[in-house]
Amino acid sequence: MAIIERPADTTTTVAPVEEAAPVTATSSYGYLRRPVESTGWRSWAFTVDHKKIGIMYGVVAMFFFIVGGLEAGLIRLQLAGPEGTVLSADKYNQMFTMHATTMVFLFVMPMAAAFANYFIPLQIGARDVAFPRMNALSFWVFLFGGIFLNTSWFLGGAADGGWFMYAPNSDVPFSPTNGVDFWALGLQITGIASLVGAINLITTVLNMRAPGMSLMKMPIFTWMAFVTQMLLLFAIPVITVALFLLMFQRSYDATFFSVEAGADPLLWQHLFWIFGHPEVYIIVLPSFGIVSEVLPVFSKKPLFGYTFVVFSGAAIGFVGWGVWAHHMFASGLGPVSVAVFSVAPLAIDVIFGGAVLGLFAGMYYWWPKVFGKTLSESWGKWNFWLMIIGMNLTFGPMHIIGLQGQPRRMYQWTENRAGEGFFNLGMWNLVATIGTFVLIVGVALFFINAIWIHRRQPVAPLDPWDARTLEWLTTNPPKPHNFDRTPTVHALDEVFHRKYEDVGEGDSHEYVQRSTLDELVLEEEAQADAHIHLPAPSYWPIVLAFGLPIMAYGVIYTTWLIVLGAAIVVAALFGWALEPADAEDADFDPPAAGGESTSKELANV
Amino acid sequence: MRDAMTTTSVESVNSLSTRLRSAKVAAVAGLGVLLAGCAQNAAQDTFAPEGENAERIDGLTRLVFSIAGVVGVITFSLIGWTVWRYRDRGQPIPEQSEGRKSLEIGLTILPALILVGVAVPTVQTLSALNKTSDTECVVNVTGQQWWWEFDYPVQPGCLPGGITEPIVTSGQMVIPADTNVLIRGTSRDVIHSFWIPKLNGKRDMVPGRVHTLRMQANQPGIYAGQCAEFCGLSHANMRMEVVALSDAGFQTWVDNQLEAYTPPEEGTLAAEGEQTFIANCSRCHQVNGILDTNGTPIVSRPDTQVYPGAAPNLTNLMTRNTFAGAMWDLIDDQRREEVWEASPEEFDELYLAGVEDEWLNAVRLRAWLRNSPAEKAMYADPTQLEPTDGRYRGMPYLALSEDQIDQLIAYLLERK
Repeated sequence: MAIIERPADTTTTVAPVEEAAPVTATSSYGYLRRPVESTGWRSWAFTVDHKKIGIMYGVVAMFFFIVGGLEAGLIRLQLAGPEGTVLSADKYNQMFTMHATTMVFLFVMPMAAAFANYFIPLQIGARDVAFPRMNALSFWVFLFGGIFLNTSWFLGGAADGGWFMYAPNSDVPFSPTNGVDFWALGLQITGIASLVGAINLITTVLNMRAPGMSLMKMPIFTWMAFVTQMLLLFAIPVITVALFLLMFQRSYDATFFSVEAGADPLLWQHLFWIFGHPEVYIIVLPSFGIVSEVLPVFSKKPLFGYTFVVFSGAAIGFVGWGVWAHHMFASGLGPVSVAVFSVAPLAIDVIFGGAVLGLFAGMYYWWPKVFGKTLSESWGKWNFWLMIIGMNLTFGPMHIIGLQGQPRRMYQWTENRAGEGFFNLGMWNLVATIGTFVLIVGVALFFINAIWIHRRQPVAPLDPWDARTLEWLTTNPPKPHNFDRTPTVHALDEVFHRKYEDVGEGDSHEYVQRSTLDELVLEEEAQADAHIHLPAPSYWPIVLAFGLPIMAYGVIYTTWLIVLGAAIVVAALFGWALEPADAEDADFDPPAAGGESTSKELANV
Repeated sequence: MRDAMTTTSVESVNSLSTRLRSAKVAAVAGLGVLLAGCAQNAAQDTFAPEGENAERIDGLTRLVFSIAGVVGVITFSLIGWTVWRYRDRGQPIPEQSEGRKSLEIGLTILPALILVGVAVPTVQTLSALNKTSDTECVVNVTGQQWWWEFDYPVQPGCLPGGITEPIVTSGQMVIPADTNVLIRGTSRDVIHSFWIPKLNGKRDMVPGRVHTLRMQANQPGIYAGQCAEFCGLSHANMRMEVVALSDAGFQTWVDNQLEAYTPPEEGTLAAEGEQTFIANCSRCHQVNGILDTNGTPIVSRPDTQVYPGAAPNLTNLMTRNTFAGAMWDLIDDQRREEVWEASPEEFDELYLAGVEDEWLNAVRLRAWLRNSPAEKAMYADPTQLEPTDGRYRGMPYLALSEDQIDQLIAYLLERK
């Protein structure tokens, strides 16, 4: 971004800190100047601003949510009646594999990443994440990985082995199209995105908290997102190993999962679920964090048992590793190995109810923070009710269906085994299908609300919910540098305590509003830091990310593409390492005369 | 202006969360209703156990569901009450307390105790289900895309008569009722899962491993099952049934399975069918005792044609009620209903009668012989066999004429 210089003689009451000479950009080294555009597509493609990256994460995740939702719609249409013919067996298998893969890896995880990216720096009083270029890299890698994965639809068919991709059904003789190759490579690519993001956000949380913000004064969302990133840091390598073995199994004739060569197919299941169980927490913890952030605000009380919730969340981060084998109940692992009945509909219910609803809560709560306007409340109510009803109509019947003996992943069910009573499979399959479309309409209302209705909404007040945490101590939307003055934190729920004072005596409590958030923000503006250094945008993250899917196509099709992709990656790494530390001074407009505008503006190059 | 807006929004969000809670309470109540009853006639209803293993699971399930239901109702009632009791009525900002240690500790210990309480019957059930020392008969079960093979090793101890020669069958596993049977299961290709909901839980059948599963049916009858681990294209069509017969009935079945081959009478349609069978089917499908024109026994070699290496043994096809991986019934709808609805006393007789011309499901069987890949999703396209070294997964199109189909059906009808 830019180096924002302010005249030292502002009305500040604090003496400006004596600083070393500010780092000024020079053109003495570096192959390419850093991009400086603050408008247009370049301002997004080359940005390293965690807020812009967060928004892009959110937009792309919502796009994949639509894709995954359409896949769900087709699946439920197929199962609405007996002997469904909407999809062939082959297409159906691809559909449910990609539906789950999309929803888990391309919607819920990046949507959580969107919230974490946008709000962790704001909640801890930082100006950006620890490694801004890596942040951009993780977004672009995720985007290109997701696109790569979905190009399989047009290149001979998508993966058809289920999102769990059990060996040996994932091997070439049983899945001869390239779908599983796209799946294994695509998830390795998005895994890089998750891993880079996790390293970045963990470092950010540990090193970049505002003065006074001890770990136990961190907002609960940041805590839960932090635990999530720790889980990712250790879980992603496990699935990467598994995917790497699968890639070699399929593309280079390795025998990691070949029974005839002495392999045990359960190896895959162990690797997959050692990743997969923590993944369940990776999916729900950010949403738990959002809910735990929203409830205290509207209760006007701190989170009950904050310390306890934090330690529980952290405990999940450890205990989550010890229980993978319960996904293998029926796999024959010894005494603890009996599956009572199908638990999958329940699992999906938990994912949807736990993760998706929490994420939507976050949307409505933080929308004014990000876009300056609240979403329409009346549309929001319709959105909420249709989603709640649709969700329960979709997943509730699946419990009945499962207990009535219809296993998962059947492309057709037959009237012969459907039964005739109140719990007959026919009726409840139809109800689940109707529920899915209620759900789809509910989600569609969100998009209408967010895209069209939102435009007519008035500008939201700075503090629409009487919020409690640090991300509200700045404008809506926040300035590129987040905070004019780096806040000093004294309490959990810092913003609440800045707004209200307890004037009660003894055991009685009475809270008086001392200042509004508008006043607090004005005060911050008035005492803005004299020197704010923001990271400059960079060309290289998007370029580096672009090389990865090319390499992946190479693994599937032809070796020279691997070389080309690797060349792009290596070139981008060099560009990354050697580009100048900042945009050149000459790229910026000079500070406006007269001190009216005190910041260096970005030139519209 | 700003304050007014803030208040409205806060109120509305609070009322939203109230309604969210009540919706969840309703959902829990709905689950209670679900548990209270069970469906009529659902072939794979997990709440209608008909063997002691499934009864154990059912007992545990009902116990756990009841406890979870009580906990759920209490939890959601408390949440609902709290939301209602402390709803926003413009009251002053409450004390900014951050918790209460005693409550936090209590709410940790209580669920832990409940979980320990649930764990005891769970572990008891699991160890009972894993017992193998008291089983009297053994059946080897092998999954293959997309059908189940059952072979009975020679075992003198299985009922007084014993099993004196190996029996190989598929689609329906016949066992003596009220007898503990041990399944030793594996797979020839991908992972399948053997699941007869009314008799026991699921057990994955994994290539390269042998997994065991107890089977016991209280009474003679037919018990539906379905492959429960996703196994590829026709996973949905991979069905199986366990057929329990009385001790006498089981002995009759065993004796019948081991009867020597009787060739069709010369000059009959069935005799032509035997030649058609030898020409078109016997490369993969074994009929025990069938001889070629030189009088040499024909041994089928499905491993040269079929990727995972086997095809159903058709020696006694018409003693079974299903074909093609139990995807279809060999008997017509009326006969099916009679067999499936039969009382335990009359079941033996109905089942052991097998398939007769008059109740043969000829439409389905003919369609299957005419063009099986069109009937069941399989990998049987002869132009796309490169990944499996030229071998099929499933039954290929055989270009049989209608006359040949007539002959084959006449021949197959005698395989019992």
